[in-house]
Amino acid sequence: MLELHWGLPVILYLFLGGLGAGAGTVSASIFLRSGGGDLAGSNFRFARWGALVAPIAVIVGTGMIVLELGSFQTGHWFKWINLFKTINLSPMSIGSWMLALFILVSLVYAYTFLPDDAHPGDHRHRLRKVLAWVMVPLGVGVALYTGILLGAMPSRPFWNSPILALLFLVSALSTGVAAIILLRALFGHKNKIDADNFERNSYMLSSSDMLLIGFEVLVVFLFVMYAHLTIGGVEDAVSVITGGPLTSQFWFGFVVLGLLLPVVIELKYVFPTLLYQKQFVMPRTMEVLVCLLVLAGGFLLRYIVVIAGQITGPVGI
Amino acid sequence: MREKIPQNSRRNFLMKIATGSAVTVTASVAAPGIALAAEKPKHYGMLIDTRRCIGCHACSVSCKTENEVPLGETRSWVEYIEKGRFPNVHRSFLPRLCNQCEKPACVKVCPTGATYKRKEDGVVVIDNDVCIGCKYCLQACPYGMRFLNPITGAADKCDFCLHRIDNGLVPACVNTCQGRARIFGDLNDPESEISKVLANNATTVLRPEMGTFPNVFYIDADHTDERDAARTGEYVRVETHRRQLKRV
Repeated sequence: MLELHWGLPVILYLFLGGLGAGAGTVSASIFLRSGGGDLAGSNFRFARWGALVAPIAVIVGTGMIVLELGSFQTGHWFKWINLFKTINLSPMSIGSWMLALFILVSLVYAYTFLPDDAHPGDHRHRLRKVLAWVMVPLGVGVALYTGILLGAMPSRPFWNSPILALLFLVSALSTGVAAIILLRALFGHKNKIDADNFERNSYMLSSSDMLLIGFEVLVVFLFVMYAHLTIGGVEDAVSVITGGPLTSQFWFGFVVLGLLLPVVIELKYVFPTLLYQKQFVMPRTMEVLVCLLVLAGGFLLRYIVVIAGQITGPVGI
Repeated sequence: MREKIPQNSRRNFLMKIATGSAVTVTASVAAPGIALAAEKPKHYGMLIDTRRCIGCHACSVSCKTENEVPLGETRSWVEYIEKGRFPNVHRSFLPRLCNQCEKPACVKVCPTGATYKRKEDGVVVIDNDVCIGCKYCLQACPYGMRFLNPITGAADKCDFCLHRIDNGLVPACVNTCQGRARIFGDLNDPESEISKVLANNATTVLRPEMGTFPNVFYIDADHTDERDAARTGEYVRVETHRRQLKRV
């Protein structure tokens, strides 16, 4: 258990897969709520960013895990096809099918948003709407299953927690929103249609990102608390982040830089609007900074969880 | 002095009635063909008497040659557990191999069905042609028994020397054991040596709290590890004799 069977490719997959699934889910749910009938260039626009980023992130991430397969490393390039010759109750089997389905659906969903003049009510609108309904449950499934996959093993006490899947889901959604804000802040300013509306949507995105991170803080608290209150293997495993080798990465890197700092920055800009209905103004640099912090935090979470789970094991013999 | 058992005691009489009625019931209900075919499947297990183990590693070596285990990997090995301070010291040996669990964690997580528990004898095996090397089972095994075979790219582990036991031989480690510490056999057969020794001795399995129900049993195994040392202040050292220097 001290050898790392799963390394950087798996960490990157968990990060990118979560990001893509989160962005896809957020995009589809935004689109379904208010993206269709609203002003062109309002919610529809950021549903578009999410739709475009989802398949790219998930496909790159999935490519990563193929690199980690023992069969691929020994030259059996396409042996992973065996995953799709069967289906069983293994979280990896169900997850692979869901992932494959998500990739297909998200590609078509992205295709419906692809033209530069895509707008609500165009000839791809019906297809877009049907696919959005499929994207939400599939995206949640893809974001959830990785946590279930890791949590399914009593031999890995660090992972063997029911709340790990929830942590991964919330982190996937918040990194997905962060990716959308980042793309929007970098490329969205060029052709905005209505400045007021643009800022109103920025406010909605930032505040929902803040809410998600707040929820994530709560889940992290529950995760650590549960482990801390247990004895035996779980307590021993969680000591890796409470005094062990990954303590500073977890508390300073993930919790402070990846969660608390972005929340504080977003609070500063969201509160005046939330409490006093002031005009929401958030400098682009701040938006970019917050997004980068959230994304780095999301990566660090996957990194710490994957490493910590493998350098700890059952106690006793 | 043997006590003479009365031929027609009340207990004997009752037992005879019970058996007689049972036989009649079975005979009348079960079809003759089914009764003949209902041969019990085998249930292979191993019992290791650590009192007879001298830590010579003959089993580890024979395992490697028999199964052509690649360099750096181990299907079977012997751990040394050293403890105490002079003059109160003790060294014991713990031979390790796949436990062929009754509820194998590795089988439960395999996404391709490449690893499965054989119905005919309960051995947990891996189909190299199906396994994609995702390493999920390596993570799931609480005993660290599995490794990725660098030549086949598939997961690999001890399978009780499948090619030998299918031909009526015992596994290589059992065959070679100098102290005859290992007993291999069918747990379903009450007349087998392993069933008899199991019934007559206090035995333990490794990490029973994992809920895997191992089929490899130990007599007088030392379950001490470094954490016990930290608690009691006793000196404990575990040598694994494999690439993974810390016990997994």
